[in-house]
Amino acid sequence: MQATELLRNYYVDTNTWDEMYRDSSVREQYQRVVAFMQQLDLEELNKKEELAKRLFMSQGITFTVYSSGEGIEKIFPFDIIPRIITATEWDHIEKGIKQRLSALNLFLKDVYHNQFILKDGVVPIEMIYSCPHYLREMYNLPVPYDLYVHIAGIDLIRNNDGSFYILEDNLRTPSGVSYMLENREITKRIFPDLLPQNNVRSVIEYPNILHKNLVSLSPRQIANPTIVLLTPGIYNSAYFEHTTLARLMGVELVEGRDLVVDNHRVYMKTTFGLQQVDVIYRRVDDEFLDPLTFNPNSVLGVSGIMNAYRKGNVAIVNAVGNGVADDKAIYCYVPDMIRYYLNEEPILKNVPTYRLDNPEHREYVFNNITNMVVKKTNESGGYGMLMGNNTSDEEIREYCAAIKKDPRQFIAQPIISLSSAPCYMQGKLQPRRVDLRPYALCGPDGIEIVPGGLTRVALREGSLVVNSSQGGGSKDTWVLSA
Amino acid sequence: MLSRVADSLYWMSRYIERSDGILRMLKVNYMYSQDSVNEFSWKPVLRLFTYLEEPETKQLETNPRAILKFIVTDKSNPNAIVNIVTRARENARSVQDHITKELWQCLNDYYHTTKEDWLPKWLQKDDPITILDVLIKQGLLYYGTADITMSRGEGYSFMNIGKFLERAILSVDLLNVRFIDNKYDIDTVADAPYWKYLLLSIAGFELYLKTYRSGFDARNVVEQVVLNNHFPRSIIYSITRLQRYFDRLKQEGQVNNYQQLDFMIGKLLSKVRYSTAETIISQNLHQYLIDIKNDLYAIANAMNQCCFAYS
Amino acid sequence: MPQFKIHHVTRYTYEVPVRDSANQIILFPVKDEFQTVLKQDLTITGEPAVDIYKDYYGNEVGSFMFADAHTELKIDSKIEVVTQPRPLPTDSVPKEEQWNSLQAIRSQVPFIDFLKQESCDVVDEIKRDTQVGQYLKVTPLTAAQKLNEYVYQEFQYIKGVTSVETTPDEIWKLKAGVCQDFAHILLVMLRMTGIPARYVSGYICPNHNGMRGEGATHAWVEAYIPNYGWLGLDPTNNCFVKDLHVRLAVGRSFSDCSPVKGTYKGTSNHSLEVGVSVSYEDGHVQDDHATVLTAQPNTNGLQKSDENSYRRYLEMIQQQQ
Repeated sequence: MQATELLRNYYVDTNTWDEMYRDSSVREQYQRVVAFMQQLDLEELNKKEELAKRLFMSQGITFTVYSSGEGIEKIFPFDIIPRIITATEWDHIEKGIKQRLSALNLFLKDVYHNQFILKDGVVPIEMIYSCPHYLREMYNLPVPYDLYVHIAGIDLIRNNDGSFYILEDNLRTPSGVSYMLENREITKRIFPDLLPQNNVRSVIEYPNILHKNLVSLSPRQIANPTIVLLTPGIYNSAYFEHTTLARLMGVELVEGRDLVVDNHRVYMKTTFGLQQVDVIYRRVDDEFLDPLTFNPNSVLGVSGIMNAYRKGNVAIVNAVGNGVADDKAIYCYVPDMIRYYLNEEPILKNVPTYRLDNPEHREYVFNNITNMVVKKTNESGGYGMLMGNNTSDEEIREYCAAIKKDPRQFIAQPIISLSSAPCYMQGKLQPRRVDLRPYALCGPDGIEIVPGGLTRVALREGSLVVNSSQGGGSKDTWVLSA
Repeated sequence: MLSRVADSLYWMSRYIERSDGILRMLKVNYMYSQDSVNEFSWKPVLRLFTYLEEPETKQLETNPRAILKFIVTDKSNPNAIVNIVTRARENARSVQDHITKELWQCLNDYYHTTKEDWLPKWLQKDDPITILDVLIKQGLLYYGTADITMSRGEGYSFMNIGKFLERAILSVDLLNVRFIDNKYDIDTVADAPYWKYLLLSIAGFELYLKTYRSGFDARNVVEQVVLNNHFPRSIIYSITRLQRYFDRLKQEGQVNNYQQLDFMIGKLLSKVRYSTAETIISQNLHQYLIDIKNDLYAIANAMNQCCFAYS
Repeated sequence: MPQFKIHHVTRYTYEVPVRDSANQIILFPVKDEFQTVLKQDLTITGEPAVDIYKDYYGNEVGSFMFADAHTELKIDSKIEVVTQPRPLPTDSVPKEEQWNSLQAIRSQVPFIDFLKQESCDVVDEIKRDTQVGQYLKVTPLTAAQKLNEYVYQEFQYIKGVTSVETTPDEIWKLKAGVCQDFAHILLVMLRMTGIPARYVSGYICPNHNGMRGEGATHAWVEAYIPNYGWLGLDPTNNCFVKDLHVRLAVGRSFSDCSPVKGTYKGTSNHSLEVGVSVSYEDGHVQDDHATVLTAQPNTNGLQKSDENSYRRYLEMIQQQQ
């Protein structure tokens, strides 16, 4: 059987933007890939899918799911068909994210210093002071180059008219970039020569840019500052990513117990004694970073590290206290921040968001709950989320009760019909909903966004939830050259 | 190198060495059990490689398949191959950026193999030697991959220190298990098959035949397992290697306060080097082996203090 | 203008040596027009470098580390301080105006922090039992004074029934505690009426007057009174703060002001002793010879970073964005 069958059953919901199809024809950017696939027979395609799985497994690109006391290795499901973004689309995204991050970074500097934006009433003080991630320990603490957000993973979705919306700003410890890198490596293996034929831009520079930025933050002006990546350890589901990044940058991968603070400097314990650490790219959350200052029960952190940080003896990436800027309730104010700090109109739109501590908004949301997605302001990864369109009345009632109890902790958004992209499933292409997370790196020389990102895909038919914890997978993401 | 990394590399290779030792023992003992039903006993194996109490041992003793299953795939047994390999891999996983990708993949494959569903089934129903060989081969792949891909730096030295320390302990235990009973008479001729299989289990049989052409004599076996410089599983060989890799660390200035460790290793090596089979046996072999084992444990503790003291 | 010499000793001892200790001390008296520090000598085991900075609430905070193996950590602080009495508010402005001005500053920094109740489930119960309405009918100053008295009357001063981790909910049920608990309860009450209130840690120096809180660090409350500023209220002694209190720090609650806290690595249990002695200009010394150290319950201060692998595992899998 020839793979021309591939497209036969590709039904696109009329109210959805499809990345590949328009008016039952294949968009230009997808034509080469579709043509390539059509000349393969199904067996070859299945073999390629099999190869992809095997490569992930044997390279240990897995995360561990613990059930009944036993670890099971899972691969983050990978769909072989790339998601393709045109040069024009990318240009728009890139400009929008750069603008947004510039504003968010200025906002962080401001809320931890002069608080102009609060004094001018653009962002309500209550919003900030009721956010558990607003860390008073960061107040007036200088950070190198006034940079707070060094690494951001900005989640974008696409509405039915094709325009991009910002869904979430992840400014603390965004994960997934190793999948951007590994997915590309896998594509090179399963679709040989297809990348150069399509003029796909490379993502390979990511670790180099990150490393260059980390070096530039070193408080000691020495030729080879010591840079470490601080991981929570092997049980963390992103551990694979931590090792990958450490390896690609050639930096030491450390756990909290490898570090010690003495005389307000951070050292790592080596077989030859203590060695001073200059820059820490940490993948441990603020709460667990310093048991002396924050959660005293943390066993992942380093006691006294905040004191070394305050003295400027070590740089921490991302800065501590960034959670106040990616809080889902404060998200509503990001367009205002852009206008306030940059005097510009936002290039990328926010998804309309209802703050549930506002009684009018709450009323509206309760009356329209079946068209809403309700999220907790301080959680990520798809946890604690309610999709109004497929939840039982019982659950909705319980959830609403929880909202009434502590409305500041919730926001609601209309359910946006994410764009769909083709996935190879059971021998044919089927549309599935996708989002996009590009990774931005901010250094003293400005913001750089590697042309690509992580496309997450909701593998279940009809599902709008792309989080890996909720049955999502990923795709290689191609950005084409102009 | 981070102390924790050195520690993990050291334990990774100790665990692999242990799994190799156990698997070989199992394989040979299983063959032995097919050969001479009357003289054969699983007791030494159970004693060496499990933490079972006497009554539990009694229960298992007569059921070779159950023993194989317990030692290879039973997750409730902390010393089971499946658990040892898991620990080796966990150690490797936390130092992935310090071993080669090939070595990591090799260990990862080994781990996945021990988790395969068909493993316990085959051990139960099919030819168990095939299964044991599959696992042993995974270990061999690891040794080969480590040998041809790992750079000869600090990490490699720590890996080898772990490997040879574990090997020395295994060889001591192996020899000693027969002498735990103090009344054991070393001249019992009937034990010849036992010694033969013991040598087989540490790949020393052929060397024995070439060295001694006079049948199986316990004294000669002791001589080979303790004192033969050319036998890669002998105690003296293991300690010599241990010293070599420690010296390498020392020369590269990678360890602090090494004097004590240096002294301990040197002293142990001299003790073994200047022994003869005659003196060992006449002076009480059992005690001699216990002393060596205690010295090896003391060295392991000193390693902890001197190189891995990070917590 | 009373002058005090205060000697404050904190001593941790460990059964077997521990290492990698990191510590934070808030032992530096506030310096302002009502309090002058003549001298401060700080001696710490191992003579580590102490870095002093101002925290968000304006307190001077010291941090130091002690990485070598040790079996004792002693923090010895000797201060000489002069206090000035402060006249009480005149309370002449009409009460409505005063309450309105408190309403107007609700969402301003720093008051917003001092009005937010910190996780307290019994607020409604407290409102009912204290008949909160009555306090809104008087001036904020009178309300504060009455609530101060309420705590003094209704709560028993008993040592050892609470610890630094006791929550307002538990104190409310116990109806007993020490100065810190009295302060925490008064904070809840002032905040529920809309009066900004902050926790104060320091020393009390009553010289013969037999007030509660001697021999250890003391704690009380400051309420924000319109047209005046922060007014000290000591619910443990049912009085306004004049010149017998020496202030070390202010914050939302104890945890912002903890005088000494730290962590260390090691398997050892520790014991903690604390003593405070005051000597006065007239030659009277509250503890005649040396500062007497009293053993403290183990929850205090130092945290051991032990290896609880379950907790460690939970934390490790949680980190995700």
